[in-house]
Amino acid sequence: MNGGSAAVGSASAGRGVALSRRALSFALDWMTWGYVAYCVMYLLNYYWYTVHVDWWGTLTLPTWGWPVVILATLELAVGCRSFGRSLGQRAIGAEFQDREGGRITIGRRLTRILLWHISVPLFAIGFWRGEDPWHDRVVGVSLRPISPDPERPGRRALATQWGILALFLGALTLWVGWLIIGINFQVLIRRAPQAGRIWGEMLRPDFRYFTTPDPVFSLRSQSYSILDLAVVTVFMALMATILGAAIAFPLSFFGARNVMGFSPVGWAVYGIVRGFFNVFRSIETIIWGSIFAVWVGYGTTLAGILALTVHTIAALGKLYSEQVEGVSPGPLEAVWAVGGSRVQVVRHAVIPQVLPSFWAFTLYRWDINVRMSTVIALVGGGGIGDMLFYYKNQGDWPKVGAVVIVIVAIVWAMDYISGWLRERIA
Amino acid sequence: MVCLPMANPYLVVEHLTKVYERGQVLALRDLSFTVDKGEFLVVIGLSGSGKSTLLRCINRLIEPTKGKIWLDGGEVTRLSQARMRRVRRKIGMIFQQFNLVDRSTAIANVLTGRLGYLPGWRALLGWFPEEDREKALASLERVGLRDKAYVRVDQLSGGQRQRVGIARALMQEPELLLADEPVSALDPATSHSIMQYLEQMNKEDGVTVIASLHFLSLARRYGTRIIALKDGQLVFDGSPQAIDNVKFKEIYGEDAEEVEVR
Repeated sequence: MNGGSAAVGSASAGRGVALSRRALSFALDWMTWGYVAYCVMYLLNYYWYTVHVDWWGTLTLPTWGWPVVILATLELAVGCRSFGRSLGQRAIGAEFQDREGGRITIGRRLTRILLWHISVPLFAIGFWRGEDPWHDRVVGVSLRPISPDPERPGRRALATQWGILALFLGALTLWVGWLIIGINFQVLIRRAPQAGRIWGEMLRPDFRYFTTPDPVFSLRSQSYSILDLAVVTVFMALMATILGAAIAFPLSFFGARNVMGFSPVGWAVYGIVRGFFNVFRSIETIIWGSIFAVWVGYGTTLAGILALTVHTIAALGKLYSEQVEGVSPGPLEAVWAVGGSRVQVVRHAVIPQVLPSFWAFTLYRWDINVRMSTVIALVGGGGIGDMLFYYKNQGDWPKVGAVVIVIVAIVWAMDYISGWLRERIA
Repeated sequence: MVCLPMANPYLVVEHLTKVYERGQVLALRDLSFTVDKGEFLVVIGLSGSGKSTLLRCINRLIEPTKGKIWLDGGEVTRLSQARMRRVRRKIGMIFQQFNLVDRSTAIANVLTGRLGYLPGWRALLGWFPEEDREKALASLERVGLRDKAYVRVDQLSGGQRQRVGIARALMQEPELLLADEPVSALDPATSHSIMQYLEQMNKEDGVTVIASLHFLSLARRYGTRIIALKDGQLVFDGSPQAIDNVKFKEIYGEDAEEVEVR
């Protein structure tokens, strides 16, 4: 395309792209084509699976079909990369340029594709030397970073081949996604009367057990009224937030690069703490709830608190650590300079800098915990949700309505309070 | 063998070399000089000539790659980290960017100057003894900021912040003061007021001062001796009067013009 002008100066200036980045961009190309192939096959299966095609038979994929698809996408990727810049090459900002700065003819591009098949197996036995792989050297091209041409302004995104490809991929994704999820909007209309009946009953809430305990729950050794459980829920969230923040606070300094230093021990502790945060955070509160419900008892408040606490530690720990890593290093240096120890550096240079954002994050987390604690009972975590799901299973919609109204009131009030506090502190 | 100089100078730097491992940058190359007690030594040189690295090697905020440093007869470069912390208590440092905690009050920043003297648990709780608090107020008084003691640092002007930095150094009752371009971020009038505080510490309290400066006029006005660095090498060591136009061009390059700070 612009082989002539752009590459003249780059014969000396440009260095080849590192092998690891090449591999990354190649993987991206292959995955893109693999995704296209998967989508096309899904569509074929969906629309024409039972259709008999005279010269082909029915369109099912035989067992040897997958290797064929994998190989075909691989070939497509190699071909795309040889003919101009592919998506993967664009992602790392590189293109093939002639080593001497001349044009790259179609013949040379085809040769490169052929040689690629010989060259790649040879790579495994260590045949490649130098900065370009063998097949590139034979053809005389090199994958180099694109030097942007200030003379030529960029075209509008949608007009380029990348824009078209992105549109195509987006349309394909929407089409296949629609089929996979199987959305059926008719149900929404057809079953509207049933929903209307439930809504009607819920809008006539039954506050009979607002303050008097519901005898139904006495069988489960917890005879609670709605108000009792509302208080339990609020305190569940509060305790989980305080406990979680208290544990996450000291841990977060061990998960901060600038505090831990660069010794092997520092790296190890940092890695373990950060790993703990990431793993425990990726397991949702509801899943922790079901684990602890089995452990300490189904429908107990303890299970709910433990679940909320564990997730709070991990989530707050990560947020705290990132704040610690973002402090300005000047005050730290100053405390080192007066003869302070590592602990003193943290106490007098790091903590004063991060404390306001720590408060803001903690209040935000309290907000989340209040909302979570109202539904944690779904997996046996106790709290007001316990009542909600019991009445729902009984089909006692007026009482469900009453509980929902209380939940809304709690969430709204906590939202308001924490927002107000956050404004004051931060 | 290395022989100690006869007069036993306060600070001895011998064959100091610092290589930054990333990029193999030679920040200091084989630097040797001595400083007597009570001197006001000014380090001049272009940006990147190694001034900051030199100052930070003296209190080992940066570990030297090679070479030795003696302070008051003791070899600083051989000390363990714990002992080094003790030595640092007597070395005040003020910084170009002040290095204060902006969200804290002036007095909280000044009090950190005492951290080296505080037992661990007290420092952890932030309980400074009453005499330290009085000392902090006295230090602030000395730099004319007594009335700003309980104001957050981010409410103060640049010159005021640097004065808080000086008050923090005063808290250490230092024997040696390292000033890393203390006035580069300030306007000329404020620069002189800051430099006068340093001069006062030097003359009245007998603190040895090592300051790196950008402006030669400030160096001439306040320094009792000047050393010049160029690409990490010592290119001048002598009295302020000895720097003439030829020397100046040698240090700052052919195209440089001297700028006065009045």
